[in-house]
Amino acid sequence: MTLPPTAADEALRHADEVSAAPEAVKIHGRSPMQIAFERLRHDWVAVISSVIVLFFIVIALFAPLIANAFGVEEGIVENPSDVLELDTGYGLEGPPNHGFTWDHPLGVAPSTGKDNLAEWLFGARTSLEVAFVSAIGATSLGIVFGLLAGFSRGWLDRIISFFLDLFLSFPFILGALSLAPILINRFGSDAAKLDQAQFYSLILILVFFSWMYLARLIRGEVLSLREREFIQAARVIGVPTRRILFKELLPNMIAPIVVSFSLGLPAFVAAEAGLAFLGIGLTERPSWGQTILDAIPHFEVYPLFLWAPVIGIMVLVVALNLLGDSLRDAFDPKTRR
Amino acid sequence: MKWKKPMAAVGTLALLSAAACGGSDSSSDTDEGDQTTVGEAGLAQDPNVEPPAAPIEGAQSGGTVTVLSAAGLNTMMPPEAYYTNTGSILTSLVTRELTQYRYNADIGGMELVPDLATDLGQHNEDFTEWTFTIRDGVRYEDGTEVTAEDFGTAIDMSMDRKQFPDGAEYSNEYFLNGQTYKGRYTDPQGSCDCYEIDGNTITIKMERPFPSMNYWGSFPAMSPIPADKSEDPDEYALHPLATGPYMFDQYEPETSLTLVKNPEWDPNTDPARHQYVDQWDMKLLEDSSALDQVIIEDQGDAQTTLTYDNLLLPDYQKAQAQAPERVVAGPDPCQFYVFPDVRKITDPKVREAMAWGYPYKDAWLAGGEIVGVTRSPETQIVPKGVTGRVTPPYDVYGNGGQETDPDKAQELLKEAGKLGMELKFLYASDDPPSVDVKDVLVRAWKEAGFTPKPVATTVAEFSTLRADPNTDINYRTGGWCLDWPVWDSWLPPLFQTDQYANYSYFSNKQVDQQLRQLQSEPPAQAAEDAQDVEKEIMEKYKPVIPVGKGGVAMMHGSRINGMEVDSVYGLLTWKDVWISQ
Repeated sequence: MTLPPTAADEALRHADEVSAAPEAVKIHGRSPMQIAFERLRHDWVAVISSVIVLFFIVIALFAPLIANAFGVEEGIVENPSDVLELDTGYGLEGPPNHGFTWDHPLGVAPSTGKDNLAEWLFGARTSLEVAFVSAIGATSLGIVFGLLAGFSRGWLDRIISFFLDLFLSFPFILGALSLAPILINRFGSDAAKLDQAQFYSLILILVFFSWMYLARLIRGEVLSLREREFIQAARVIGVPTRRILFKELLPNMIAPIVVSFSLGLPAFVAAEAGLAFLGIGLTERPSWGQTILDAIPHFEVYPLFLWAPVIGIMVLVVALNLLGDSLRDAFDPKTRR
Repeated sequence: MKWKKPMAAVGTLALLSAAACGGSDSSSDTDEGDQTTVGEAGLAQDPNVEPPAAPIEGAQSGGTVTVLSAAGLNTMMPPEAYYTNTGSILTSLVTRELTQYRYNADIGGMELVPDLATDLGQHNEDFTEWTFTIRDGVRYEDGTEVTAEDFGTAIDMSMDRKQFPDGAEYSNEYFLNGQTYKGRYTDPQGSCDCYEIDGNTITIKMERPFPSMNYWGSFPAMSPIPADKSEDPDEYALHPLATGPYMFDQYEPETSLTLVKNPEWDPNTDPARHQYVDQWDMKLLEDSSALDQVIIEDQGDAQTTLTYDNLLLPDYQKAQAQAPERVVAGPDPCQFYVFPDVRKITDPKVREAMAWGYPYKDAWLAGGEIVGVTRSPETQIVPKGVTGRVTPPYDVYGNGGQETDPDKAQELLKEAGKLGMELKFLYASDDPPSVDVKDVLVRAWKEAGFTPKPVATTVAEFSTLRADPNTDINYRTGGWCLDWPVWDSWLPPLFQTDQYANYSYFSNKQVDQQLRQLQSEPPAQAAEDAQDVEKEIMEKYKPVIPVGKGGVAMMHGSRINGMEVDSVYGLLTWKDVWISQ
């Protein structure tokens, strides 16, 4: 548990006042955030994994530019029969049957002739887009409902808690499975609309089935914090509830929020790929999961086709997880390294 | 996880399951009794083959064959079994019918020979009465004798469309009162009055001429079923009584089937089946990629394992490199077409533009087909090996069935004043090959001057939506597989008004009239005239665009022998399989 930031601010202000006096001993007051980042800076696992995550973020942000630099394009840009061998279905250039070529650094996909590098780059973009938007969504929902449930007591708490348990017990894969065909049949007639619908519904599904974990955590925190003196004091002097929630309580819960956000990211990356692999995720835009599904039968002859997205997912998920772990350790006042 | 599998099956869009309807007249001339080898142009018949089947040179007895497949066995109830796998397994191994096919190595193909009937049936002049004489001494697996009455029971059952909605509908289509009698279970009191039994002969009476009755006689629906054992159709479906060399041992619907020797089967009554193998273990709903690997690697039990699924493209390459002698490739009975909806795409010029704009090779590649093996170019409607195929070959669009020329397509569109015309078509967005094909099509149609509008659906909904004439799309793709190798299994279903496979919704009174006329001509004459009719339809109306014919590429373990392509079912010659010890 961290100190209320109001107290920390107080201490800081106090420290400033003290340092103003020339003879006084210099006292370093540091906020929990500062302490955490100080710890992170010395944690080489955290440093390396943030570099990797940053690398992927850069790839995702600049996917079209990077693809351009390599001279490759996403999607089917040439007739498959012009870039593939008719008898084997593999590329006329590049692996598996020919040597490396800069035209297609990772080769072309069998059957369709899509460039694997471009698909990979845009796949990274899809992955991170889905992961970040879902994580932000899940975290916001979790915070709001957690605070409300924890602070409100009575019927509102009971209702929110009921929905928490309801969502927790609902099977996620089943939800995703049943929603996919509904969307397809509803928006099927327009490819662009279908893509949007799939994208947002995927995010909605991921959000709906993951906000409960943070909400529960926050509710628990709030339950114990709301009985503390500084909250009681705030209520006594008539601070509005909204202010208590967001100015007094929320800052105390930065740690679990940051941790849940950072551990949510890799889970969403994996979930996006997993759903695409099952054929119920995104179908209208590149996705690592889809590439994996396409590549599995070709693994023996053309392993690079499968390795690229698998390594992409693995490295990104491991890096995000390690970063999340490091964040948790850094924010946890009870850990000492 | 498994949800990929049924989609892979749908990906090919073949519809034998629904290859209902059909025509009437056909070629077979059974009066003479001579062997009529038609080879390339048609199918041979030999009514004089006597049991027992000639032994296969060097064949050894014993052993268990393991059969792996990604597709499940839909239903094994004889009147309803109408998928290629269920039909082929039943008629080859378990149930015996009036007639049957056998593989003839001399002609390298299948021929129709007698089965439980002593010949291929005797018919009256206008093919409205067929008489079959049933062999003596044939027994079910429980020892009871097969009688002509059991065929009557089977006919009554085969007309029950309510109990067996997925079964083939030829009995209703042609047999007397087929349209009014509701079938054995739906109307237990009624009777079709469409057959007469006299001792060991059964005479079937037709509503209209049915020259292809001897082919229909080879369907599982025409296998004898004892009336007292089949009171409960759901129970009988789990264990149809065997008359053939093998009987059900263990059967899990869809997922697995074990067949063991039927001790009551007497080779001296069967002109074509053998019983070399001791047992068949069929394991279904397997992963395609995994089962290919098992058979290619050929270790241990895999040596006596076979699959009737087509090898996946990468596995086909590997198999060809490692063990080409174990790959069994050949023709299958399916052809694939683009069906422009002629109600919406009214100008034949636009349809011609589609033929030039369609990305033949690209679509085959994207669909995961082995070009030249499981998909090859075709320009005609009635395929090779079928009586009534147009000779010499013609090519109405002039592109050899595989050439794409977007410039030419644009020109034709301009001439028709339809440049930028919308093309709406279905694809299954949860089936990756279907999505890939869609991407290829969108690109190709754009290049050819059309405005492609793909309509997404799911694998589960695909066939229903495609079959619905009111679905908001303006062309369909699909396949058609033969029921018997005669032209009347092709032209009427594709071109007659309101027929099941007429996805172009082509309707022309004159053509209907011509086709009906053909069906009442003597078979040999009809086979000649059908060629002119096909050419005329295609040249004048261009209602369909042939986009390739199918093929099979199966594989077996190193100790399996006698596995050839059954070009009627597109599966293997079960009857001749043996294991070298």
